[in-house]
Amino acid sequence: MKETRRSFLKKSAAGLALFTILPRNVFGAMNGEKKYTAPSDQLTHGIIGVGGIGMSNLHFFSNDRCRLVSVCDVDKDHLDNAIAGGKEKFGKTLKSYHDWRELVHDSDVDIVDVATPSHWHALMSIEAARAGKDIFCEKPMTRTIGEGQKVVDAVNRYGSMFRLDTWFRFKDTFYGLGTTVEPLKKLVDSGLLGWPLTVRISGATGFAWKFYWTGKENLVPQPVPEVLDYDMWLGPAPYKPYNPHRVHQTFRGYWDYESGGLGDMGQHYIDPVQYILGKDDTFPVKVEADAPQQHPDAVGIWRNITYTYEDGCKIILEGEGFESKGKVPYIEGPKGKLYKGFECTIPNIMDILNKMPDSEPRVTDFLESVRTRQKFALNEVNGHHSCTIVNMGACALRLGRTLNFDPKTQRFINDDAANLLINQPMREPWASMM
Amino acid sequence: MKKIFTIIASLALVFSVYAQDARQRTTETIVADVLAAMPAQDASQFNEQMKDLAAAAPESIIEIARIMKPAGEGVRNSIYEYALSGVVYYVTDPAHKENATNVLMGLQQAAEACSDAANKAFIESLEMYLKPAETQLMAQKLTVKEAGKLLKSGAIQDKCYAAKTIIEDGTMSQGMKALANALKGDEIQLRNAALGYATCKYGVEALAPMLIKAFPKASVGTKKDLLNWFGNNNVASAESLVSGAMAGDGDIASAAIYAAGKIGGDKLGKELIGFLGGSDAVKSAAALAALKSFKGDIQKEVIGAIGTAPNADGLMNIASTRMMSEAYPVIFKKYQSGDANAAKYLSGVVGTQNIQEIGNVLASAKDNVPQLQNALYSCIHTLAPQEQYAQVRSLIDKASAKDNFYAVLARTGTDAAVEDLEKAYSNGSGAALQGLLGIDNAKAAPILKNIAKSDASKIGTVLPRYIDLVSVYVQDLDVKRFDLKDALELANAKELKAKALNALSEIPTMKAFLLAGQYLDDKDAAYAAAHAVKNIANKTTEEINYDDLKANLEKAVKVLSSTGYADDGYAISEINKMLSEAKPSSVSQLTDEEKEQGFEMLFDGTSLDKFHGDKEGYTPVNGAILVSANYGSTGNLYTLNEYRNFVLRFEFCFTKEGANNGVGVRTPMGVDAAYNGMCEVQILDHDAPMYANLHEYQVHGSVYGVIPAKRIKHKALGEWETEEIRVEGNHIKVTVNGEVIVDGDVRKACKGHNVAPDGGTYNPYTVDHKNHPGMFNKKGYVSFCGHGEGLKLRNVRILDLGDKK
Repeated sequence: MKETRRSFLKKSAAGLALFTILPRNVFGAMNGEKKYTAPSDQLTHGIIGVGGIGMSNLHFFSNDRCRLVSVCDVDKDHLDNAIAGGKEKFGKTLKSYHDWRELVHDSDVDIVDVATPSHWHALMSIEAARAGKDIFCEKPMTRTIGEGQKVVDAVNRYGSMFRLDTWFRFKDTFYGLGTTVEPLKKLVDSGLLGWPLTVRISGATGFAWKFYWTGKENLVPQPVPEVLDYDMWLGPAPYKPYNPHRVHQTFRGYWDYESGGLGDMGQHYIDPVQYILGKDDTFPVKVEADAPQQHPDAVGIWRNITYTYEDGCKIILEGEGFESKGKVPYIEGPKGKLYKGFECTIPNIMDILNKMPDSEPRVTDFLESVRTRQKFALNEVNGHHSCTIVNMGACALRLGRTLNFDPKTQRFINDDAANLLINQPMREPWASMM
Repeated sequence: MKKIFTIIASLALVFSVYAQDARQRTTETIVADVLAAMPAQDASQFNEQMKDLAAAAPESIIEIARIMKPAGEGVRNSIYEYALSGVVYYVTDPAHKENATNVLMGLQQAAEACSDAANKAFIESLEMYLKPAETQLMAQKLTVKEAGKLLKSGAIQDKCYAAKTIIEDGTMSQGMKALANALKGDEIQLRNAALGYATCKYGVEALAPMLIKAFPKASVGTKKDLLNWFGNNNVASAESLVSGAMAGDGDIASAAIYAAGKIGGDKLGKELIGFLGGSDAVKSAAALAALKSFKGDIQKEVIGAIGTAPNADGLMNIASTRMMSEAYPVIFKKYQSGDANAAKYLSGVVGTQNIQEIGNVLASAKDNVPQLQNALYSCIHTLAPQEQYAQVRSLIDKASAKDNFYAVLARTGTDAAVEDLEKAYSNGSGAALQGLLGIDNAKAAPILKNIAKSDASKIGTVLPRYIDLVSVYVQDLDVKRFDLKDALELANAKELKAKALNALSEIPTMKAFLLAGQYLDDKDAAYAAAHAVKNIANKTTEEINYDDLKANLEKAVKVLSSTGYADDGYAISEINKMLSEAKPSSVSQLTDEEKEQGFEMLFDGTSLDKFHGDKEGYTPVNGAILVSANYGSTGNLYTLNEYRNFVLRFEFCFTKEGANNGVGVRTPMGVDAAYNGMCEVQILDHDAPMYANLHEYQVHGSVYGVIPAKRIKHKALGEWETEEIRVEGNHIKVTVNGEVIVDGDVRKACKGHNVAPDGGTYNPYTVDHKNHPGMFNKKGYVSFCGHGEGLKLRNVRILDLGDKK
């Protein structure tokens, strides 16, 4: 029987726990005064997608605090490799799944790592929330703006904890700036640069857009390898004849699955900017793209994408090979400029900033977030906001025109085709699961 | 372009739709014109093309769909896909919607007529843009009653959803009851979810009294959740409750202290201050964190307490972090009275008025020197750099022990400070070296390099800073590469090599790639070198010799495969992608006919052994000679032999608009072939806009200044063109792409007057009115005359005709 959302809900509402298995009682255990980590207090996680990033240390880990228990992939080679890797790296046998729905509903799993290509992120996150799991999702968070809205809704509805996997808003050196974003945040908050601000994300300021993630036109259909379940790999995406360039490492080059270098790096680069500018609760009102015409299937290159907020702040993305020449500021305001390497027109800026009060503490350890139920620093809400900026850019590129956006309704203004890209059709049975 | 048009034109014979536009073009011509311009390079071109296509719909759509071919090897449908999707996107723009219906009609008819499944699916996928019916989220609602049941018996996520439903859709009393029940339970997930939903629904003000009331009877876990909630929502009315909880023990007290910092206010501020330095270390640390970002003004209390507290460390920390300048006197007093911690907190509370006092203390200080240096720098940091330098300089001049000041001198970042520090270092001051390591000034880089060169024991100390300075300040990519090459040669430890290679990986040039590649075999440097070659190959727009690219990237894969870091798997697939896209260079060969005639291959794509001259400016890359030579006599490449009469054949390709070079004929070395050789046959991208006002004797193929060539239209940048130059006696014949563009006699061209008859510099007989003293040379080298970059040459071969004729 086809499992529609409606029928699913009926069952769960009636208490038929087909898909609703209580995770082990880890949350209850937190209530007491336990000061040691009993095995039952150790969290567990399972990874969907063990090709590229899923096999990296970000996901493929197992330790005292969180144990890897299962992996899932639609490519048998990937799955075999992960099982062997688990044995070798942790000396542990991993459960393995072909159908991700089984991993999501595995009662041994507390946290679901979504490490697939991005056309799957929303569906898997929503289903994981519905199954009472917490979610560790790869960037970009979703492939469309509408999917992001639905993830926010589901995570909120089922009380899950969600972590988006980029991290520059709370740790690590922020690319060309040579520092964490903390001093940038302080600098912007101090008002020393004035307002509104323009942020330039460009090779000239230390951010590369990875244009090698472009697609190929005129792909010749090829036989699907035996190890790959191509139909399941495509999932909600429209059916297109198989060609190896569509899948695995090069999938980003096709609009059906992601949006090239913009999709790959966009959220890494733009999410911290939202934080720095204090714009986590809003969106730009306009996006302009300067690019050669985009192929309807294969993602191409672009020269410039400019976002404008209602108050006049701008984010300018400069494509690889189309960077501004000369010395270009990363952040520019009416009263000052900040360059690559944290070089600033305001003398001794680091000293000034070092003396400012610390910013408010945030939860930056996802396992801590899972245990105390306090939202993670980069969660479904601010993640959806920065991902929407990435996806707005993709919409403007594809349609080849300037788009105006209403931050309140999260829809494009007076543009039906652009709004169609907010909620794109999905294949069944997946569409009914959204 | 020509080809596509022919296909369409022949189809027109059997398919006769003769819609015509304002320019009297038929549909076929409109379609052909658009297809020839696909994909559009920018918005204006896109709009121009699509406007035509939309206006000619539905016929234009049907026509394009009809000529699409079933997908298969070698089938290039993408221009049709660009055109069809383009026109659809165009008419979905509200500003261009007038032809939308016709475009939709075209798509529908085209889909119906299409027999290829993939093409049909593509056409149909475009239809949705013109009849937008968005898939809407199915309503998924529980009734409040169902939710009530689910809340009692459901799985945890269902309970959360049930609580959400009751709170959002039920009455307030139902909602509050659901929240109360959640808070009584032992499920932390449900408690916090319910708190969140209720906060959105009822607001903080309505909830706060109820939660305050519920607090005393709540479990330990719930109390912690509530305290987080009071803090995160700045609930001032929870002040006394928070105050009481702070006085307690354990996790609850810690949560309360966190909340107090967020709630703020005098009372909680004072109490937090009271915990600082107290016997409970956990509370003291929590209070310190809370006070650093405390909401409200706590200056008076903090300063007051510093004077009286037995352990004022935390208080001084707060005063310093929050920059309370009024705390200076009391903290300075603490320092003078021997409080060891006070020194480090001076930096936050000083200003320019304290320069002399802090300077005097620093001059004679034995302890707490770094802290006092910080304090002195804080005194001056608001001044302009030159003024900062002047202040420190005057303190140094007065002081007998100067070493304590060098760190502060360095922080001024001035050129004068670099000079002073270098002098002091050469006089043996170790503190001055520290200053040179700290100063943020490009001029310190060469000094540090010299230190590393002259004293190997200091390499580990000075090299990292040298590399940082070079990375940040050196703009010229070649200079930067040489600087980092020096660093790599000096580096005597794994970390140093890695640091230099990381910096090198930011230089996107072929030469940087090759330099990084040299370290792939050095086991200490291989890992960083592997990432460096990967990054450079990714970034560079310069052409890298295929063999070098392949050898280095393959080595890099080997290095990265052996690390066992899963993250490197990502890097490996990036490299494999580059490798799969790189093309090996081809080797040119003489044709059988050329072999028979006696041609000799001068450059077959591999080596420049048959040339001498500027081999820096002319390099063999991927089967071609890449020209980067500069203008002037050194930028020339000469044949090894001299020739009298000959036929030279070669292919050339412009890679940059306006590229300029030339073939020198019968020229001596080191002179300007156009005048001191027999002549120079111009190689020039004369189509570039910058050459709009070119003299006719300067266009491509011209015997420069002597015989103008017939002006040809060059192929596009990046495409190869062929050329033959035949020189026999005074006769010269130039053939480009099969077309003869010069065929003349230099002696006749200037009526025998290669130089002015009057011995002056004005020669009325040559077209450029200059003297060409070398014109009648009997023999000389054949050369390529460099005039900047942007040119590639290949398949260079020559037939020596000797003395014939």
